[in-house]
Amino acid sequence: MDILAIIFMIAGLFFLIVAAIGVVRLPDVFSRSHAVSLTDSLGAFLMLIGIALHEGLDTNTLKILVVLALLYILNPVIAHATIRAALRSGLKPWKKKTS
Amino acid sequence: MALFGFWILFSASFELIHLGLGLVFSFAVAWLNSGHSPFIPRFRLWLRIFLYFPWLFYEIIRSSLHLSKLILHPELPIDPHLISVNSKLRHHAAVVLLGNSITLTPGTITAEVERNNLIVHAIDKVSGGDVVSKHIDL
Amino acid sequence: MTTFLFFVLVLLVILIGVYLYRVLQGPTIFDRVLGLNGISTKAIILLIVMGVYFDRVDMFIDISTGYALINLVGALAVAKYLEEKGHS
Repeated sequence: MDILAIIFMIAGLFFLIVAAIGVVRLPDVFSRSHAVSLTDSLGAFLMLIGIALHEGLDTNTLKILVVLALLYILNPVIAHATIRAALRSGLKPWKKKTS
Repeated sequence: MALFGFWILFSASFELIHLGLGLVFSFAVAWLNSGHSPFIPRFRLWLRIFLYFPWLFYEIIRSSLHLSKLILHPELPIDPHLISVNSKLRHHAAVVLLGNSITLTPGTITAEVERNNLIVHAIDKVSGGDVVSKHIDL
Repeated sequence: MTTFLFFVLVLLVILIGVYLYRVLQGPTIFDRVLGLNGISTKAIILLIVMGVYFDRVDMFIDISTGYALINLVGALAVAKYLEEKGHS
């Protein structure tokens, strides 16, 4: 069981690292928000599933699943609010230079 | 009732005083909010939502692998653009669920919601095409 | 397992540092808000891993749930304010 948990957590860490690289590399706000959404959806999911497997069946596992559902509902709301504010205040999305 | 279940889950103790307090407070909150709750789904909608979640999860895994391949590519071959999605959903909660799952999928983000017309920012041609073609209907 | 959890903790702190670079350096103010959102998600995961590391999961999970809810309210307030004000 521990081996499975470690595999899940390593996969989650991989996605978190990729998202951090993307946050530094990508050119504008809209693209960076894609990277942040990557860490929210899959990285947090794999990490928390790994921890729940390590804990075993308990009330703590149920609480971890509640936190996970909360993240899945609340994080798109935050990302959508930020992006809508950026779009309404007149920021133009980054275009590839045609050359 | 659902609130009472959450109380039991969070306090995780089964003594009499805790259960009584939880019962009183959960019914008080439910009574306070009972006037203006717009989300009263029917039973068939719940059944289709349970069929919908595994498909959404498969879609999340596929597109996040695609996005991480894009980020780790040395030349950064992204092509962001805005597309407009017109959905035929009538129920209010269904539009909310559609926008939420579009934002949850990596690579696309809902930027603006009219009544049932969504403006979506996509990072790539592939991610944008997914939203247009595999457009869900509850 | 304990060594692996310690490794995970150190890596998460390093990732928070990477996001902090984006918060401090960001060209527009929306970059900073986005970086703070990423930091909050990392902090929730960090709290739960810390709970497993110290064998006090029941306490740390409640803290992280409260952190997630407070983060939602704060981020929505900042986004609403910026939407009214415009970027500058």
